[in-house]
Amino acid sequence: MEEKIKVKEKFNIPVTILLFLGLITIAFPLYMTIVIAFKQPSEMTNSISGILSLPKHWSFSNFAEAMRVTDFWRSLLNSVLITAVTVVLSVVLHSMIGYAVGRNKARKKWYNLVYMYVVSGMFVPFAILMMPLVKQTAQMGIANIFGVILCYVVFYMPMNLMLYSGYLVNIPIALEEAARIDGATTFRTFWKVIFPIMKPMHATVAVITALSVWNDVMTPLVIMSGSGINTLPLAQMSFQTQFGTNYNLAFASYLLALLPILIFYIVCQKQILNGVVNGAVK
Amino acid sequence: MKKMNNKERTFALMTIPILILFFAFNTLPLIKGFVYSFTNFKGYGTYDYVGLRNYMDLFTDGRVGNSYLFTIKFAILTTIVVNVISLILALALNSKIKFKSALRGAYFIPNILGALVVGYIFNYFFTYIVPAVIDMMGGKGTSILASTKWAWIAIVIVCAWQAVAMNTIIYISGLQTVPEDVYEAGAIDGATGWQRFKHLTFPLIIPFFSINMVLCVKNFLMVFDQIVALTKGGPAQSTESISYLIYNNGMSGGQFGFQSANAVLFFIIIVLFSVAQLTITGKKEEQL
Amino acid sequence: MKGKRKGLLWTAAILSIGGLAGCSGQAKDGKIEIELVHYKPEAVDLFEEMEEKFNSTHDDIHLTISSPNDAMTILKTRFVREDYPDILGIGGDINFSYFVDSEILADVSEYEGLSDIKESYLDILDGLEFVPTEGIYGVPYAANASGVLYNREMFKEHGWEIPKTWDELIELCETIQSEGILPFYFGYKDVWTCLAPWNSLAVGLAPSDVCQQVNAGETTFSKEYRETSEKMLKLLEYGEEGPFAYDYNSACTAFANGESAMYTIGSYAVPQVKSVNPDMDIDSFVMPGNEKAKGNTLNSGVDLMLAVTKECENKEAAYEVISFLLEDENVQAYINDQNGVPCKKGEFTLAPNLDGMKQFIDEGNMTDYQDHYYPAEMAVDAQIQTFLIEQDVDAYLKKFDKDWARYNRDIIRKVEEYNEENQQKGE
Repeated sequence: MEEKIKVKEKFNIPVTILLFLGLITIAFPLYMTIVIAFKQPSEMTNSISGILSLPKHWSFSNFAEAMRVTDFWRSLLNSVLITAVTVVLSVVLHSMIGYAVGRNKARKKWYNLVYMYVVSGMFVPFAILMMPLVKQTAQMGIANIFGVILCYVVFYMPMNLMLYSGYLVNIPIALEEAARIDGATTFRTFWKVIFPIMKPMHATVAVITALSVWNDVMTPLVIMSGSGINTLPLAQMSFQTQFGTNYNLAFASYLLALLPILIFYIVCQKQILNGVVNGAVK
Repeated sequence: MKKMNNKERTFALMTIPILILFFAFNTLPLIKGFVYSFTNFKGYGTYDYVGLRNYMDLFTDGRVGNSYLFTIKFAILTTIVVNVISLILALALNSKIKFKSALRGAYFIPNILGALVVGYIFNYFFTYIVPAVIDMMGGKGTSILASTKWAWIAIVIVCAWQAVAMNTIIYISGLQTVPEDVYEAGAIDGATGWQRFKHLTFPLIIPFFSINMVLCVKNFLMVFDQIVALTKGGPAQSTESISYLIYNNGMSGGQFGFQSANAVLFFIIIVLFSVAQLTITGKKEEQL
Repeated sequence: MKGKRKGLLWTAAILSIGGLAGCSGQAKDGKIEIELVHYKPEAVDLFEEMEEKFNSTHDDIHLTISSPNDAMTILKTRFVREDYPDILGIGGDINFSYFVDSEILADVSEYEGLSDIKESYLDILDGLEFVPTEGIYGVPYAANASGVLYNREMFKEHGWEIPKTWDELIELCETIQSEGILPFYFGYKDVWTCLAPWNSLAVGLAPSDVCQQVNAGETTFSKEYRETSEKMLKLLEYGEEGPFAYDYNSACTAFANGESAMYTIGSYAVPQVKSVNPDMDIDSFVMPGNEKAKGNTLNSGVDLMLAVTKECENKEAAYEVISFLLEDENVQAYINDQNGVPCKKGEFTLAPNLDGMKQFIDEGNMTDYQDHYYPAEMAVDAQIQTFLIEQDVDAYLKKFDKDWARYNRDIIRKVEEYNEENQQKGE
């Protein structure tokens, strides 16, 4: 025991330094985004200095204008609502089917078929679904936020099913058997034993799903067009018209849209890092 | 119906309703799309059935053929690049380093940005900064985005830059499942470095490796946003991905029926690709 | 804990959907509802003003104007849903042809205001129909003009003259180049910019109805587009190095910063150029593609038309809206805002950047964009880019003819059927 603690305190300094050096590849494009977001269109010239120089004035006018054009708070609320509901539904429903399928697919042909069927849905190009989905959601009367959320829950099901059932391989079946001996039903076992153990995977699923939903334009564009409801990416389309793009405003707006999801990631990251499984297995 | 015990019934109840939802919003529209692939439907208005014409055209259309070649070579290269980098990165970020969580957070940032934004930034980067740097070093710099030969490499770089983050996270969560005592046992056997990785770590994270491979191949075969932001299929149609072609001609153009046929073919190809992949990695898993 | 949170979110979701339904369900106390959807999001502020003005002056009709981004996708998806707006504000391009062909638009030939519209623009719409269709399917509202934008200050400073013929243009380019200035900035990375000089050259060098002629099997593009293609190549010599590296935005920025004297693009680019350099003095001239000045014609197409859909329940009310938008004051406001050319007869003040084209506009010497007849999926823009990179005129034209036949076969078949029917009738 004592030895283990000692090992943990020894930091690998060369790797740390290399990792910090590697950060340049990430910091540089971000630097570009930030300076462009603060500049005025008249400061943009077609040269290296036009892109990389610092803005003449550090003013938040681009950000204020971007917020006005996108009707920021309302679009933000819609985006948050769609993302949050999708993530919660995905974590609950997909972990459930992931558990049922993952635990049975090795033993039963039917579950293996279900697995193959759903996972192959991942490879359906959205373009082919688009028109029929537009028609279908309209006929069902859900050409609105609700329809968009349902579509998302279905679109991300294949990948999440794969992630959950893959994760299940690492959870010893002994845990469930112990619970069953204690008299718990199958559903109870899932909810009380398995669901909490899958926490790191929930975090991963939540992050992946949230990011895809947050940045997606196409689904809300086609499903709820004409409903007058905007998400942030939809509102951001107004920076780019056929005959003109204001990259300065656009980049300011992208940075604004980045903040909420960054906060979400930081929260989830802790969950991923907790390594709950290690504790449970031991 | 056969008698089901309680456990089996619960499992079925957990599966079937979600399955119905999946059928309604994925399979049903897919079937409709499949039906449209036999028509000259523009996406709206009236249309006629044209039989197998769309499918026959697929095999004679040079543009479609080129888009498959481009997309497949792009997907393979990007998948390799991304998995190598992110596996190294995950091992580094999982080792005993200082500022661990800050570093992990920082390396994840590319993934938070939307693909379009990243594309626009790199557009500036490739058009103005890279050529200027080459000029400074005494070379003659031109934008690789303007080269029919090399533009696709730019897209590989941009996609990799962004995708590495997510793959690293998945590898890290895989590495987290490797219990400490495996290493302890390994240390007793005298395993270090590459040996330790090859014989101890890697076999344990194979499920995560196969997930990453499948996700990569799928995401990169379906590459779309980066193309829109960086090259719009150019120069000289050298970087038209399949998804780009399907969307652009099917939606913006009037080729919905034809591109539905293309999408059906594309779907079959990706499924074959992935089944092959899963079988290979699945066999590896079994071997262990 | 989790369940509670989920419940809260669900309530929020349901409430917001309920709120939505409540919004659209609000009865406008017996007024006729008219919805106009147009594809010019850049004019959103102006249309909001017009909407307000209309509603405050009309008691019986309530007008809603929406200016969505990516309007074409939105319109097409709404058609799929069979949810049709009353009036469409669209351009006179191939989409219009498709909409006429799909019988989405209504015949508006009964509308009285049509007599105020310039004949030339009605003819352009007529020409866009795949097969001659009885009736008129749109009211042309505003046009744009494409040719060559130039930096007026720079021209004055150096004493350069506006060229009237192809030779004069080449001579001018040589002069500009000899003074160490770049004549053109092309920005061919965005493929659609390749179409701008292509169109403005082709209107002078090829028959205006070349596409219909080809569809009817009377000629080939290899024959009609050769000169245009060769001249496109020639122009490349006077542009920036590596034009395929720079996009439309870069070209606008470069032209705005005085890096080039001219830019082969339409009047629609002026706002983008001015966003970089607000004080720039821009004028334009007609692309002198011909050896003789007489052969030149202004490249101008219907940029915005108002089309009534078949599903519109109250056509009279729709006409009322169109008449309102066509009031002189509103037309003037639109062309001021969008640097456009009015399709309505009468005296209007044009934007100063159209000075060099005024004579052509007044004379009605205008020809529609060739690309308005090209199917989008054929990607002629990308083909032109490919051709400019590879510089092989024969290969390009051959491919053009081959692809044309393939992408237009349904239309060609329709034209053939139509011609056969008419011949039979004639016999």
